[in-house]
Amino acid sequence: MSIKLPFKKYPRPNGGFDQFAVVSINISLPGKNAPRSKRFEAIIDSGACRCTFHSGIGKAIGLEVDKGEVEETYGVSGEPTTVHLHDIHLYAPGGIIPIRAAFTEKLPVAAILGMDGFFNHFRVTFDPTAQRCELERIYQA
Amino acid sequence: MPATQVDSRLELLRQAPLDSWVALSDDETKIVAVGKTYDEAVRGSEQAGVADPLLLKTPKRWLPFSV
Repeated sequence: MSIKLPFKKYPRPNGGFDQFAVVSINISLPGKNAPRSKRFEAIIDSGACRCTFHSGIGKAIGLEVDKGEVEETYGVSGEPTTVHLHDIHLYAPGGIIPIRAAFTEKLPVAAILGMDGFFNHFRVTFDPTAQRCELERIYQA
Repeated sequence: MPATQVDSRLELLRQAPLDSWVALSDDETKIVAVGKTYDEAVRGSEQAGVADPLLLKTPKRWLPFSV
């Protein structure tokens, strides 16, 4: 079973716009019955090594963000950025996915969903003719 | 989401404060709350009676993303 997500428009300066494949998700601490975040919009980004979330969401679900394992990551500036890693549950189409995710205050958006934690759980098709992204969950033993 | 609704969402984002958290209504046609933090936006949406908002973060400026 797959889910079709229309691309969403984000503003550019001077009246233009960009289109992104985005999905509404929640996250929580890994514990059973841990309270979930509110739904938030995450950009599906195959250029990202792992899933990265704004620290504000991590704090809201009860993480002590700065106490997570430190990792450095490169963005397009070429300068490393420090992030903190935590084990969380990602509530995505098809159910809960336990992932190790990065958290940082420096993310300009709420979240990006990258290779480790998202693309290894979905067959992802970007369809520019239909202006949408199709997600098919992969369940592996 | 119909095309007109998509474009109205784009206009909402243009009008939203920068470097902020924005809570949209369930159908993404209205901004129900904004805040400098995620928690502020969530509290604002609850005060507005919207239990299941969709949260977004706006950047400092709207520029093409390469995150």
